[in-house]
Amino acid sequence: MDSFSLNSVELQDYQPNRYPFLMIDYVDKVCPGKYAKGYKNMTLNEWFFPVHFPSGPNMPGALQLEALAQMLTVAITTLPGMKGKVTHALSHTVRYRKEVLPGDKFEIHTEVISWNRGICKGKGVAYTNGEVACEADMLITVPEILEEYLPKKK
Amino acid sequence: MTNKQKYNHVFMETFGISEGDLAELEYNAIQAWDSVGHMGLMAALEDTFDIMLDMEEIIDFSSYKVGIETLEKHNIHF
Repeated sequence: MDSFSLNSVELQDYQPNRYPFLMIDYVDKVCPGKYAKGYKNMTLNEWFFPVHFPSGPNMPGALQLEALAQMLTVAITTLPGMKGKVTHALSHTVRYRKEVLPGDKFEIHTEVISWNRGICKGKGVAYTNGEVACEADMLITVPEILEEYLPKKK
Repeated sequence: MTNKQKYNHVFMETFGISEGDLAELEYNAIQAWDSVGHMGLMAALEDTFDIMLDMEEIIDFSSYKVGIETLEKHNIHF
């Protein structure tokens, strides 16, 4: 499948989160079913910087992970027939390497390891200033598809 | 390893349980055999026995015992 980019408006067709919880600004390149890469620019105007923390603003780890998961989701929802499908997190393992600060460009690289029967196993790495900020192993699902494969209650 | 031993091993590895827990085990009877565990089990059985389970077989695979019948349809004899 060919790769393509999605600007901040276009990506909203593939990622249902909205302000203040949309954690990606731009998808530089997505190859459906394989990978999605893009970024989020950090500005002091983010809602979380004044509260996390007042004396030392930095992006909460939970939101860094959310950004990785949202980017990985785009790699799946851009597959044929998947536009607009809801995804849920199943299990993530994340490691944080450095703080993400106002003014940083949070560059997100995600890769689909497997996509089968409604479950996507993937990994993501985010960089700021050329260094790894965080990385995660992720398991997400499209419940609508997964549920079709489950044993039915008697 | 016999096919039965392989089959048991998949369950024990996937769910972190012992052999004594297997005989009456059913989907959703333990925390580990939830929706995600179910898909993990199916993938592990397919890899172990080099088979491909179809959708109906995956939906019907509701217990350790039923699984044996399913695999026998794939010429995996116990």
